[in-house]
Amino acid sequence: MAISDVCLSARDEAVTWASLSKWFGQGVGTILAKIQQISCRESEEIRLRIRQPLLIQTARRDYFLNENSQSVEPRQAYKIRTEDLREALERMTHSSLYAAEPELRQGFLTLPGGHRVGVSGETIWQNQGLQTLKHISSLNVRIAHEVRGAGLALLPYLLGEDGSFRSSLLLSAPRAGKTTMIRDLIRLLSEGVAELHLAGQTVGVVDERGELAGMWQGQPSYNLGIRTDILDACPKSVGMAMLVRSMAPQVIATDELGTAADVAALSDAIRCGVAILSTAHARSLVEAQSRPVLRTLLQQGAFERVVVLSRRNQPGTIEQIIDPRNGRELFPPGRKIRAESKGS
Amino acid sequence: MMVIFGCVLLILACGGGGLWIAMRIKKRPREIRAAMTALALLDTEIYWGATPLPEAFQVLEQRMEEPWRSFFAELARRLRQGEAAGEAWQDTIAACRRDFCLRQTDWALLKDTGKGLGRSDRDDQHKQLERIQRQLALLWEQNNVRADQQAKMWSYMGFMLGIAGAIILL
Repeated sequence: MAISDVCLSARDEAVTWASLSKWFGQGVGTILAKIQQISCRESEEIRLRIRQPLLIQTARRDYFLNENSQSVEPRQAYKIRTEDLREALERMTHSSLYAAEPELRQGFLTLPGGHRVGVSGETIWQNQGLQTLKHISSLNVRIAHEVRGAGLALLPYLLGEDGSFRSSLLLSAPRAGKTTMIRDLIRLLSEGVAELHLAGQTVGVVDERGELAGMWQGQPSYNLGIRTDILDACPKSVGMAMLVRSMAPQVIATDELGTAADVAALSDAIRCGVAILSTAHARSLVEAQSRPVLRTLLQQGAFERVVVLSRRNQPGTIEQIIDPRNGRELFPPGRKIRAESKGS
Repeated sequence: MMVIFGCVLLILACGGGGLWIAMRIKKRPREIRAAMTALALLDTEIYWGATPLPEAFQVLEQRMEEPWRSFFAELARRLRQGEAAGEAWQDTIAACRRDFCLRQTDWALLKDTGKGLGRSDRDDQHKQLERIQRQLALLWEQNNVRADQQAKMWSYMGFMLGIAGAIILL
């Protein structure tokens, strides 16, 4: 596959409206189950906002749906009721709101299949911390798509001259395919790629938000490869150290670096000889360097490859691959980027 | 000859009926006791393990004896199919109550358990389950001693009725 074709079009493991409709109550569930004119594969989000129209978002446009699952003007669309939100939340937590409390405190739930549900409502504060959410007013279901083979075109750029995997950071704005890409890279690294003479590696995944593996009762929803150990719902800063101590990984993969504690744990792992595969929110290397946490990592030379993704053609479009230690741009080739991207 | 055969049959039928009623009376406190154990286990799973209900009911299915084993298996199945806990609890009671020897008052209390199940935080769930367990304990104490006496009475009364009927026939 040419890298220009990259990347999230490879092989999408089908998510269907019928399989998603079971997470909603009678009203919304019936509408979703009957959708015909919108491709589930292309859909990215289902938005439920109290007294607002039911909304499906794809990469190209927004669809407001009526009771007959037809795309209509917002004022003619099905309006979300309190009951719809309550029923959806009950189904999404498997009638176990108490079990979802830690996730709700972070503002999201993860469904089997790795679909992430953003939740907002009235916050309850206790002892200077967020206790829980009540009177839920919005749900945002981000539909997870498993795209096997998405990372195949990218992987050669992440290997060194000796053919070993180099610590890599995937950057993009939200909804540009970071998680889908890292998931497939984990699988490829774990299983090995004969065409690249890449042997399978032991990969440790710290899945703090439950998005990478989509674990449900100890079973991953996604195939992350045959040599992958998954630490689910564990803070990255703790999980990386645990994996290094207990599972002897060659590569540690984790999603969305963001705190100083993450940086410290990641630096420790690198000192132990472990390669890192991670993601962060930033639209470019320059933007990443403006964030103190990422700047520290880039200055330390923690990453040997930085990949910038966008939604330009479709989610997962590769814009740049850079070696941040010398600023050399590996893709598109033949262009030297600004000195500030060297992280000095 | 036919009359004697009829009398024996009558005594056996009435005696069997009496024994069946006695058996049901004896089983009722045992089932209430088992319900208390099940709710204590459920409380532990929710309060200490934060175990989601489908998984918690699977644990109960493995730990309990019949008929509660089938009850929790059915409940877990319904939850896995996406039914809400309260609704699944009521539907399972309706589907399984024939397998039990419990009475209307017992079921009324157990139906209460389903209301609000899984809809609040762990502390609240713990309080609700403890309350139901206390009420079940009270029900068990009230019925345990009486159940033995009533069971004995029914096991004799069946045969007595049969004999009385046979005397009338003769």
